[in-house]
Amino acid sequence: MAQPVAAQGATGAISLLSVWSDESVKVGEVLAALDELRRPEPMPPTRTSVLTLVIVAKQRAEAARAQAAVHELGGRHPARVLTLLFDGDRGGASGLDAELRLLGGEAEGHQVWFEEIELQVRGQASMHLDSLIEPFTLPDLPVVCWFVTELPDPEDPLLAAADVLVVDARQFGEAACFATLLTLARRQPVVDLSWARLMPWRSLLAGLFEGPDFRPFVTCVVRSEVWGRTGPCRLLGGWLADRLDLPLSAFELSAAPHVGLRLHARSPSGQAATFEVIRGDGRLVSARAAIAGGPESEAVLQLPEATPAWGLPEALSRLEHDRLYERALRRAVEL
Amino acid sequence: MTELPPNPLLEGLEGERRAPPCTLVVFGASGDLTARKLLPALERLARRRLLPTAFSVVGVARTEWTDEDFQAVAGEVVKDAAAQPQWTSLIKGFRYVAGEYGDPSTFERLRTVLDDLDRQRGTGGNRVFYLATVPGVFAPVAEALGAHGMARPGPGAFVRVVIEKPFGRDLPSAVALDDCLHQVFNENQLYRIDHYLGKETVQNVLALRFANAIFEPIWNRRYVDHVQITVAEAGGVGHRGGFYETAGALRDIVQNHVMQVLSLTAMEPPVTIDAKGIRDEKVKVLRAVKIFSPEEVSHNVVRGQYERGWVEGEEARAYREEEGIGPDSRTETFVAARLCIDNWRWAGVPFYLRTGKRLPKRVTEVAMQFRSVPHLPFPPGLARGLGPNALVLRIQPDEGITLRFGAKVPGQAFRVRTVSMDFSYGAAFVEESPEAYERLLLDAMAGDPTLFIRTDEVEQAWRICDPILEAWTADDAPLVPYRSGSWGPPAAERLLEREGRAWRNP
Repeated sequence: MAQPVAAQGATGAISLLSVWSDESVKVGEVLAALDELRRPEPMPPTRTSVLTLVIVAKQRAEAARAQAAVHELGGRHPARVLTLLFDGDRGGASGLDAELRLLGGEAEGHQVWFEEIELQVRGQASMHLDSLIEPFTLPDLPVVCWFVTELPDPEDPLLAAADVLVVDARQFGEAACFATLLTLARRQPVVDLSWARLMPWRSLLAGLFEGPDFRPFVTCVVRSEVWGRTGPCRLLGGWLADRLDLPLSAFELSAAPHVGLRLHARSPSGQAATFEVIRGDGRLVSARAAIAGGPESEAVLQLPEATPAWGLPEALSRLEHDRLYERALRRAVEL
Repeated sequence: MTELPPNPLLEGLEGERRAPPCTLVVFGASGDLTARKLLPALERLARRRLLPTAFSVVGVARTEWTDEDFQAVAGEVVKDAAAQPQWTSLIKGFRYVAGEYGDPSTFERLRTVLDDLDRQRGTGGNRVFYLATVPGVFAPVAEALGAHGMARPGPGAFVRVVIEKPFGRDLPSAVALDDCLHQVFNENQLYRIDHYLGKETVQNVLALRFANAIFEPIWNRRYVDHVQITVAEAGGVGHRGGFYETAGALRDIVQNHVMQVLSLTAMEPPVTIDAKGIRDEKVKVLRAVKIFSPEEVSHNVVRGQYERGWVEGEEARAYREEEGIGPDSRTETFVAARLCIDNWRWAGVPFYLRTGKRLPKRVTEVAMQFRSVPHLPFPPGLARGLGPNALVLRIQPDEGITLRFGAKVPGQAFRVRTVSMDFSYGAAFVEESPEAYERLLLDAMAGDPTLFIRTDEVEQAWRICDPILEAWTADDAPLVPYRSGSWGPPAAERLLEREGRAWRNP
């Protein structure tokens, strides 16, 4: 049975209200403990989870990073969080260690609370993680599976238990990874944190082409330089190739610590213009459009802090197929 | 002018409602509304990347400021300028024109500045003129914009005018103001702002009603016993005494905010959630509101004025002791009314409205009180805590929805009492709600008039309020005092009590 422990202070925007743990347990015991945990004194505040988030990781440190991201969202996006930790040794005896945490947060003056379930899965059971998801899902809420370190095999039965997959293309680089991602994304909604984090670049670039002076150049981009880490760089290149219908020969991709791009355009009358979105050393991204002998336009944008949750709230707010992302992936595979 | 190609890069971006390149011209740029609402709203729009890259703001006011002074005021919107580089970068392009609104040279200089901005920043001749001034200036500014060729857009461009309430002080003056504006602008260029419509929760009345199958079937006289709309403020008139003396609660709140909330609550389902679809239905339901005769005003409307008392732990002065208020003022600070909507949906269902200053707390809500069950099978003693079902739309603060229903009290006896099921916006959505002015400014720039008030809505609202104002001009029309910190005068309670009902405690 659950043994509530007094709150141990805040974890980011939320507080740990009580905790329970045990080794070599059965799912039924964990569920019973979870029931007990949901009875804080003196009166339980309303639970308002909006999704079941499953974090799939091999290492505790990787899982902790993902959990920290969820904590950072605090009461703004309460979820039941199920963390599945499994080691590479799938041959040994099956076993389950569990830790439950009841967390409390505040959203616009309202108390919200949610549970975190961490399961260390040993032996053969780690080949059947899908069987561990269903018992813990909340009714009527989407199940989001976050693969923290590696892409799942498209045939992994775990995928059937998930409504939405969360990945981060920043961890991948090879074209083969993009091909796997594309296969996954065609089957079920994939939320890519890198794609979400690229939003400022896309938004700034799109904004540069607004207005009667700049818009005509959107159809006459002749060369595109894109740089950054391999994953985001390819993704951004794929998006540009798809949106502007550019041939692969128009691209120059290069490695750099931060993402950036520069488009060169030439109008039918021969007028040249450049459009660039560049991140400097800090967290400032600047965008600039310049028409030779014509008007110029500039904008700057401060990126949010590079915390574990960067991109997560945006990503979790759209749990559906993103056709634009899929088209960008398709072209990214070719780049 | 050749048509511009579409921008394929915009597809799928967050905030698809982006404003096209434009210049926002704020008349009254050195005033309170600009500093308190407009500049912060612009800063938030900039932070959310919803402003166009080719964008500028031109402030116009009588105060002798320079561009740098205006930029400095804009810079004060953020506490830490270094942490908001997009805002500090944006405001470097802000311009300021100092001058009298009656002086033609003011508008000549404004035009030069706007033309310069088009050339330098590519704002394409698109303008949004925001009249954040006292209402007396609306007409002269509109005329001057027309006289200086700034009211008509160039090819492919737009010119829009945003006007703040009050839209007149009665029906004739509202019509006169519109006549004056229409001499210079078309109706589709006019964006009359009521910031209540910019509130997420006001818009959510539409989502609740028309995106769900379970509420609309009971949203009528068959199931609804009555409706209560409360717009309560804890504050007094503050420094607005001079203005308030010319307005009063009916003009300041009922004619606009309350009528808007009422029309969204009571309107028929629109064919489409767009400007025409929604505004047509709002006008239709306002037309169905019964107009009072002078006798009916005294029977159905209560007006009050606050006296001394305690609000939120602080002692409050009487209205007549406030700054700028005369000791014999007869301006109302509280209105309660029982309105009837004479149509098939609402015939016989009273709509009780109340608004006032110095009430116990700041709260705006709409409560649909449903009819009681036809027969209660529980012994009376066991159902004492059971009230009728209610669906409460909490508009501010603490935005959300509460459903009140009966539930069994745990125990051996079959006792039932009312419980509340609460939905809170803050807890269900990760997205931060845009502030009302933020939403409305973006809508005006993007050319979406859905949440702005059309001229016929203004006129219908005055048609409802004018007979009340007229009845109150009689010397013997009652103005009842109420203690600050109370829910208004006892007469407001009696308005419901005589029909066997009672106000909710929001």
